[in-house]
Amino acid sequence: MNAIGAALALLPALGAGIMMGFATAKATEAVARQPEASGKINSILLMGLALAESTAIYAFVIALILATSV
Amino acid sequence: MKNLWFLGVSAVLSAVCLIGYFLTKNRADANPDDPKAKKTKKVFFFGLIFMGWFFLGTVCNILLGGSKGIHVEFEMFSPRVELFGISFAETSLIAVGVTVVILAAALWFRFFCVPKFSDDKPTKVQLVMEFTVEWIDKYTHSSVEAETGCLSSYLMAVALYMAGCAAAELFGLRAPTSDITVTFALGLITFFLINYYSIRKKHLSGRIKGMASPTPVVFPFRIISDIAVPVSLACRLFGNMLGGLIVMELLKGVLGGYMFGIAPVAGLYFNLFHPLIQTYIFITLSLTFINEACEGEGYVKKEKKAK
Repeated sequence: MNAIGAALALLPALGAGIMMGFATAKATEAVARQPEASGKINSILLMGLALAESTAIYAFVIALILATSV
Repeated sequence: MKNLWFLGVSAVLSAVCLIGYFLTKNRADANPDDPKAKKTKKVFFFGLIFMGWFFLGTVCNILLGGSKGIHVEFEMFSPRVELFGISFAETSLIAVGVTVVILAAALWFRFFCVPKFSDDKPTKVQLVMEFTVEWIDKYTHSSVEAETGCLSSYLMAVALYMAGCAAAELFGLRAPTSDITVTFALGLITFFLINYYSIRKKHLSGRIKGMASPTPVVFPFRIISDIAVPVSLACRLFGNMLGGLIVMELLKGVLGGYMFGIAPVAGLYFNLFHPLIQTYIFITLSLTFINEACEGEGYVKKEKKAK
């Protein structure tokens, strides 16, 4: 039962993955349109990725707690 | 028994590849226009690398014990050590070690490198240090609008500490940042700094007013989101570091002795690149939160003083 719970807890990783892909696609578009702003875009992208990634990481931590506590 | 077979086969094949490589190398050197000789030389070269890796991996397997299958041994909370009758977490001792190394390096730089600095002939060390300090100073001042004081030095210290922890993992120790108590402590410091800078700029009344800014209805939610800041910072760093740790442990368990040669490549990503990115993100998020808490409202306070 714990293993199923851990697997279900990892569902947010799906959303995080898809949305990080979107963010990167938009950043690539922005750099292609305005290559001189790539430095600024890069830092904003990293920041956004970190925030988007955090849901997946919370899911991972919760899944670990579920999986290790029997 | 299987290992001995692997050892013999890989030794023979790597010897064949070695001989073939030198033979084809001579031929390729003699007539450089021949593309076929060059190609066979390349094939023998990569065969030599692969077979040599296989041979050395098998040696490691025999000496150190082989693959354990998909079986990871790790603990969420670090094991405890008895020292002088007091129980310490292993990671906290490693953290103390990292701090001591960083302090010693800082003292060494202060007393042996900084006096030698000159404006006319900057050495390499001087250039690197000046670049780093200037970058973090500029980054802090451009991110936070309030007067920051020595915030940039604190951020530099945190960055060095996290980089040191990541480096400790390369020595086979458990990184202190993969312990939730350490990351939560760092998050709490950020929480303290947010309130400190905000209250210093706007005083307590301004801070409370800023939290109830559009309507007083949002006040409890703002408090919750403020308390969530250190938790989210701590969990983010902890999850990332633990994730890297688990992936490396899994690789070690599955590959056994064949981890030889793969460890540095995988470790470069999971133990070096990822923690450094996390360091950058931690600094950026701290600055963003501090800036958010310092924004606006402070100007109103100043006008009141003028009246």
